Amino acid sequence: MLKKMLIFSLLPFLLFPLSGCWDNRDINHRVMPISIGVAKMDEGYKVFLQIPEPSSESLGTRIVTGEGETINQIIDNISVNMESAVDLLHVKVIVVDKRLAEEGLNDLISGFIRSRDVSAKAVIAICDDNIDQFFESMENAEGGEGTILLDYFEKYSGWDPHVALSRVWEVYRSSHSYTRDVAIPMIKRGQTTFLEIVGSAVIKNGRLVEVISSDETLLYNAFNNKSTRGKIEILDDASVMILSNDTDYKAEFTDQTPHLQTTFNFSVMILETNGNPSAQDIKMNLEELLLDRYKALIVKLKTSEADILGIGQHFRKEIPRKDLKNWRSDYYPNLAFNPIIQVDIQNYGNLKHTTN
Amino acid sequence: MNSLIKEIKDSIGDNDDLFFTEHQLTDLSVVFIGLNSLVDLGPSIKQLEKMGQKNYSSKEKLKQISQLGEIKRNASEITSLLLEGKLMIAISLNSDSVVSVDPVPVKLNRAIDQITNENTMLGPLVSFNEDSLTNIGVMRKQLLSEKIRVKHFRTGIHHKKALSLIYYEGIVEENLLETVVKEIKGNSKSDLYSLQDVTKMLGITPYSIVPRVKTTEIPSEAAQSLLKGKIVLFLDGLPFALILPSVFIDMFFLESDKNLTFPLMISLRSLRIAGTLIALIFPGLYVALVAVNPEVLRLELALSIAQSREGVPYPAFIEIIIMLVVLELIMEASVRLPKSIGPTITMVGGIILGQAAVEAQLVSNLLVIVLAATTIANSTVIGVQNLISIRLLKYIVLIFSSVFGVLGILAGVFFICAYLAGVSSIGVPYLNFKHSKGEGNNG
Repeated sequence: MLKKMLIFSLLPFLLFPLSGCWDNRDINHRVMPISIGVAKMDEGYKVFLQIPEPSSESLGTRIVTGEGETINQIIDNISVNMESAVDLLHVKVIVVDKRLAEEGLNDLISGFIRSRDVSAKAVIAICDDNIDQFFESMENAEGGEGTILLDYFEKYSGWDPHVALSRVWEVYRSSHSYTRDVAIPMIKRGQTTFLEIVGSAVIKNGRLVEVISSDETLLYNAFNNKSTRGKIEILDDASVMILSNDTDYKAEFTDQTPHLQTTFNFSVMILETNGNPSAQDIKMNLEELLLDRYKALIVKLKTSEADILGIGQHFRKEIPRKDLKNWRSDYYPNLAFNPIIQVDIQNYGNLKHTTN
Repeated sequence: MNSLIKEIKDSIGDNDDLFFTEHQLTDLSVVFIGLNSLVDLGPSIKQLEKMGQKNYSSKEKLKQISQLGEIKRNASEITSLLLEGKLMIAISLNSDSVVSVDPVPVKLNRAIDQITNENTMLGPLVSFNEDSLTNIGVMRKQLLSEKIRVKHFRTGIHHKKALSLIYYEGIVEENLLETVVKEIKGNSKSDLYSLQDVTKMLGITPYSIVPRVKTTEIPSEAAQSLLKGKIVLFLDGLPFALILPSVFIDMFFLESDKNLTFPLMISLRSLRIAGTLIALIFPGLYVALVAVNPEVLRLELALSIAQSREGVPYPAFIEIIIMLVVLELIMEASVRLPKSIGPTITMVGGIILGQAAVEAQLVSNLLVIVLAATTIANSTVIGVQNLISIRLLKYIVLIFSSVFGVLGILAGVFFICAYLAGVSSIGVPYLNFKHSKGEGNNG
């Protein structure tokens, strides 16, 4: 009895040697990069880590670089040379250079997913610039705010519906899905602002195939119901802000041809007018503008055979599994897309809108 | 012939406060026997003279005196009556019987006082005191009902302690009453000094982290418990009521809350529940977030925590243990110390915990905030016993979270829940949320 009690009272202490908690590092002994830059070299990769440096006055930024064959090896080398262990769990933004995106992101992304070092929720972006200089300028940035990149893509902070927002897991999904691709933002150094949006890169099977403008990105976001507070300029007439939008789909599959009728309902608010156009004019012009843009976008996407809108999702149940992998090449180019745009001008701001 | 007096002397022993005083009660010579620490002899004699006859004939002395009290012949019974504070009158030192009378007692009880340990905001301020009869009187004043039943028991071999049981006829849970009475009668030989002895006597394990018997010094709380079908016990010498059974919600629900309006009552009670959770989780959460799972934090917060911990020599777990121990010591010391030195501890403790430890970079200033929040939140719980059990239980969460991080908090809280779910006292589960009999009407 006594022996049993002794054993049972000692058992809880096994918790410590068995759990592996001895190699927990305290937060001040970890280096927490908030963004990683990855560039393709002729052989292997070059990795940039942007590390915020807490100092007494403000948040500084340090850029650490390393070169090597694989990402993990580079990070490991950096970790060996730094005073604290590198902990990638706080990485919020991954910036890859355009060359790497053109050659294919699959190895990189599946490496991140596999190793679980980087959160699958990290945002991925393409740098349409010299990535060396891009990160260098971040270190020299006036004010030294260490979280520029992070804030740029943060929904409550600097994000705008003109910017595509794609997570690591979405890119991973797109490279393994037959019917869904993804658009990721393309950025470069700006003239007066730190960042400037170039547009969005259309990624098909992990490879950059097409670039769409930021106006088209707004439509892409509207398709996914993420366009609220996006602003649209109607040539010569007015500019409006999208208050809310919803979409209705009607998919039909006849004679091996997919038909998709999409009804977009936009509720907008008038911000600015040129001259004095009537509400009816603004409405009609806006509908026309959106319709043209959608049609142009679809044409562009069909040519590059990249389904970033996820239209194929509506036809998965119609197409046999063995044919589904040919969705992008066989069915998608034949898609009959019929967008219907309905605009509702919900309010005129603080002014009464009078028409002459 | 003097065997009875001798027997009494022998059984009480060599005590200097035992007196045998010969006295003329008007014209009758008698011997008073008693303990002068319990009996105020002068006023007692005056009282007896008033009560007694004007003239005692020398015949039938015993019969005449016996009108003042009861005749006792058994030495051991007389001894225990003496210890209770009764006065014995013997005709002579040789008589074989004595008369036991109620004397004027020496004032040994304090008056009914204000509540000292369980402050209430709105509610009666009367509190129980050490005398169980007084306490029963206070209870009777709270509930003017002919349904109140009081039962007296005497337990113990070496010490005959008075244990009183009160219940509300018709509302009380019959099974509960039956079990309690059976246990008390079955263990009437156990000496009762403390709450632990009482729980042991009732067949409840004393190895319990949560209190199995609710204690309160507020009569209205005890009275409301009676109306909920519970049983109230008074042990002579303990200045509080023991309420059976104790359940989980006693930690958060105070009867005097009902003196507030309903929404205020609800918000106050939710506040206590939140406070308990904070007290349980916060220290563990600090360790989990700082040492094991910093990725859960927002980046800005993570950086500022990292900055505040810059230069702290110990890992988070050791750091928090050191500070918690200091904190517990301060809490214990401030109870122990006389009121005149108490403020010193508060001041010194405040300096150590608040400023010096942070400035010396022994701990991070976030930890001081966490500790303050924990201690304050801990104190929202009702009852001293519950307060201490929460203080203890937080270490379980702390240890688990230092090993498993955020998951460990879940594991720790799960452990505590499992433990609470397994506890039951006298057949009533600790996590009993069912309304008991009568609560709907009176509670």
